[in-house]
Amino acid sequence: MVDLPITQPAPVPRRRRPALSWARYVGLATIGGLLILWSAASALGWASPLFLPSPARVWAALQRVAGQGYANATLAQHVAASLWRVGGALLAAMAVGVPAGLVIATSRIGRGILDPLIEFIRPLPPLAYLPLIIIWFGIGELSKVLVIAIAMLAPIVISTASGVRAASESQIQAARTFGATRWQVIREVMVPAALPSILTGIRIALGAGWTTLVAAELVAATRGLGYMIQSAAQFLVTDMVIAGILVISALATLSELGLRWVERRFLPWIGKA
Amino acid sequence: MASRAGSLALSHVSLHYGAGLAVLHDVSLTLARGEFISVIGRSGSGKTSLLNLAGGFVAPSSGQVSVDDRPVTGPGPDRAVVFQDDALYPWRSVRENVALPLKLRGMAPAARAERARAWLAEVGLQDHGDKPIWQLSGGQRQRVGLARALASEPEFLLMDEPLGALDAMTRDQMHELLLRLWQDSHAGALLITHSVEEAVFLSTSVIVLAPAPGHIVHREDFDFGRRFLCGEDPRALKSEPAFIAARERLLAAIHGKEPVHG
Repeated sequence: MVDLPITQPAPVPRRRRPALSWARYVGLATIGGLLILWSAASALGWASPLFLPSPARVWAALQRVAGQGYANATLAQHVAASLWRVGGALLAAMAVGVPAGLVIATSRIGRGILDPLIEFIRPLPPLAYLPLIIIWFGIGELSKVLVIAIAMLAPIVISTASGVRAASESQIQAARTFGATRWQVIREVMVPAALPSILTGIRIALGAGWTTLVAAELVAATRGLGYMIQSAAQFLVTDMVIAGILVISALATLSELGLRWVERRFLPWIGKA
Repeated sequence: MASRAGSLALSHVSLHYGAGLAVLHDVSLTLARGEFISVIGRSGSGKTSLLNLAGGFVAPSSGQVSVDDRPVTGPGPDRAVVFQDDALYPWRSVRENVALPLKLRGMAPAARAERARAWLAEVGLQDHGDKPIWQLSGGQRQRVGLARALASEPEFLLMDEPLGALDAMTRDQMHELLLRLWQDSHAGALLITHSVEEAVFLSTSVIVLAPAPGHIVHREDFDFGRRFLCGEDPRALKSEPAFIAARERLLAAIHGKEPVHG
């Protein structure tokens, strides 16, 4: 007997929309096109190798720094130093920023105190407050982490505060009818409702963190990707500068992919309720 | 109006926002445990405000809301609410949603999971406890909301158009489930609804509100729900002349007209 179509299980809906995978192809094509253009530009001598070394030379520079090292350290050591700074700054910014965002969202007095402070910090360029941080905290590791953390703080505070508003009036009222205290409403309703927004804040903060890294490693660093790039730039080792840029870009992409994984794994309800 | 023991009472309650907009004017009603009161009325007649007052979400501008002669000062587990948008928490599984009131009361994890399981079985969702809530249909979600409200074993069950978004067949099933749960829980039920038929079928008493500002224009007692619980067929009850006449009477009251006699 032949199975009727009606007895077959419904096809599992495809998770990714076709439009998105098209966007992915277009993205890959753009990157490929740029690489070809870059190769052509250096092969045909459109630009001097001093300004634009060929992809092969950049690749060689990458291998050189990975193997023998450059500017007193191997690539792994540079990467580790930078990751430690950005990661430590992210943890510090979250430890301060998430509670601060909750206070802004749930207390009028808290909002009155913290809102102007955040709005003061938010537009400041890191290079502007870097000297002050060095005067206050010296040229050690603390200053570097602090500069990055300050740059990361505002996005996390603002996204937490606005994320709390994602909890609907009735979700909060429901918790209150169960006899929830103010603190329980925050813990059981507001924080979970804010998680998607907090994650978005972390993504923006990481972007700001990588941006600030090079500035933070301007002063008295002996390791780090920013330091490596600046050392190379001083001697016009352009291939190493580009290699450093590509490594930072790869790390930022990896952290973005990691956050997307966290989102899919732990917050599968985003956009579905 | 003197309130009885085991009752939620609104006495001479008025509600206005600021100086101007009056929402409710001099509304009195008493909901005893074991009663089922439905409130119907046109949009803007203050039905939801009435529920918000009973729930303790807003305080009356004058008059008093009380439970057993104690004034209501805020929401509490004695008055559970089923919301129009189910107000479930998508970051919790179905069972964890039902268990939340028990968790907030300090019940141990194993005990509350067991109780939540039992309540889900009551509403026919025993196989859905581990699912995330977005995998449920609208009717299933409202049943989770109902199970969650009942899990806190309230004295009063306040419902704000919980069935408004459901299709007709699901609504009929929900009516029968609602009546059974109401009977088993011995709670007093207050239902805000747009559906006159639903009000007549479910309630021991129906209140009609008229707008601008909301005030009570009609009250009437019914026993169709109780007769259903005694075993009568719901279709037969809903096609009885008495049921149809009651529906027409309430519709006339809603629209401020004398009933049409045919």
